[in-house]
Amino acid sequence: MTHAVDMRVSIGALQLRNPVMTASGTFASGREYADFVDLARLGAVVTKGVSLTPWEGNASPRIAETPAGILNSIGLQNPGVEAFIERDLAWLSTIDVPVIVNVSGHSVAEYAAVVRRLEEDGRAHAYEINISCPNVDEGGMTFGTACAPAAEVVAACRAETDRTLIAKLSPNVTDVTEIARAVVDAGADAVSLINTLLGMSVDIDSFRPRLARVVGGLSGPAIKPVALRMVWQTAGAVDVPVIGMGGIMDASDAVEFMLAGASAVALGTANFVDPDATVRVVDGLGEFCRLRGIGRVASLTGALVAGDNASEVDA
Amino acid sequence: MSCSHAHTSTRAAVHSATVVSNERIAEGVGVLTMDAGNLATQIAPGQFVHLRVAEGIDPLLRRPFSVHRVSGSRIEVLYQVLGRGTRLMSEWEGGHATDLIGPLGCGWRIPNRVEHALLVAGGLGAAPLGMLAEELAAEGTAITVALGAPSADRLVARDLFEANARRVEVATDDGSDGHRGFVTAVTEALLASGDFDVAYVCGPEVMARIVAAQCASAGVSCQVSLERLMACGIGACLSCVVSTTSGRKRACYDGPVFDAEEVLWDASEIPPRH
Repeated sequence: MTHAVDMRVSIGALQLRNPVMTASGTFASGREYADFVDLARLGAVVTKGVSLTPWEGNASPRIAETPAGILNSIGLQNPGVEAFIERDLAWLSTIDVPVIVNVSGHSVAEYAAVVRRLEEDGRAHAYEINISCPNVDEGGMTFGTACAPAAEVVAACRAETDRTLIAKLSPNVTDVTEIARAVVDAGADAVSLINTLLGMSVDIDSFRPRLARVVGGLSGPAIKPVALRMVWQTAGAVDVPVIGMGGIMDASDAVEFMLAGASAVALGTANFVDPDATVRVVDGLGEFCRLRGIGRVASLTGALVAGDNASEVDA
Repeated sequence: MSCSHAHTSTRAAVHSATVVSNERIAEGVGVLTMDAGNLATQIAPGQFVHLRVAEGIDPLLRRPFSVHRVSGSRIEVLYQVLGRGTRLMSEWEGGHATDLIGPLGCGWRIPNRVEHALLVAGGLGAAPLGMLAEELAAEGTAITVALGAPSADRLVARDLFEANARRVEVATDDGSDGHRGFVTAVTEALLASGDFDVAYVCGPEVMARIVAAQCASAGVSCQVSLERLMACGIGACLSCVVSTTSGRKRACYDGPVFDAEEVLWDASEIPPRH
């Protein structure tokens, strides 16, 4: 008799029915995907970044396709936390799925104020603190590329909530493990990575950049090897769960991230190509484990068999 | 209703599609006919489908195409070979299997009593107007079409319009067919005649903007179908925003058809490429 695979994982105090989440900014608040996906089958829905006041986002063009990837400079366009609570969270909380709200701000005080307002509401299950968006001038990545400001934002949010706090890290740093240690010391229960890699594309016919903002964040399969490397480094550097993402398109990609040390994974760009990519990965992960007699998906985490020289590559 | 998300009977879904034919109909322009099962019966004029153009991860994104015509279980889309995705499409032969998401977006709105409609198509802007022309003609609405292109060999869908319209006025930039010059000179003269109830416009954004202004002067209600680079196509990613009097709206979900009055043209982007 075949036993069902135990797909449950824990991220801090948060219990997930499986390790598959959505990556912030690619799934709105889930509503647009409800035609394609039974959201209750996901490990968690991570919402688009929410700020204290409405943000307009950047000028168009906001995306450019690149080899096996996309550059985007959306710029965290969102209606602000009040409208988010009223329109999005109210709807999402009717679905039986953990909701992780991605929190953005221009200042430490704004991040904390968003968490405070969401705590008053009480329907978010956890928070992901976005200190890694490359597409805004103030806030975002400016907080996430040095240890002190990264820690300051996380500490300020930590002071507002006892719920699971996840810090989303930028790959646009020299040593991601330093930032990871700083945010964990400041009270983060988990880290998620990677956000997009800062990039650029040029149209040689018009001599113009292909993004209005010139530079933007690269996502998709093109960045997977970089993401995987950073997840592996980070999982070896901190004692909290790591949520791995960056170019995951299918279950085998997800397995790679878990073997490298991720406790859970998130799909972003894949949703644009296959709106039901998340549930396919849920099914595929279960099938991967079942075929190999692996009883618990959580046992994949960090199960990478690395050679004797592995530590020399680290750092 | 012309929005897939405004009612619950027709939800967007991923549909398998098989290429029936793929023909070059004008310079650099192809018409792709696909068998898309019951999707064909769900499309309203002006809506679009999000088509998978590659099997692997490169090129990565789907490509959005307005549905030009439907017939039984078949849908037709027009495409211009501009980039890697459309180049791949141009190589497809009958039997090629792919998939598409649809029906997507808000299409043309047809007011209750339309006696005479003006359709304005610039180049590939004819794409979303084909189904509309057929539907309006079937309802007995009189149609006048202003059809523009750079040259005679790049005129698109002339036969379809001539079969459904009372009058088709052609303009080519080089004068190789019809009026010499931009189609906006034709629309200016047509609108001066003054008996249109509504104008439906699709084409280069500069053309749409000028026609919208002409309609406003003539007191004719005007709808425009706008093109933007898209990623998800279903309203989530906010790549395809259009600046409007009520903020930035999504071309894929709130559009692609907008009331011309609400569009803030000054904030328009440089032309998208596939």
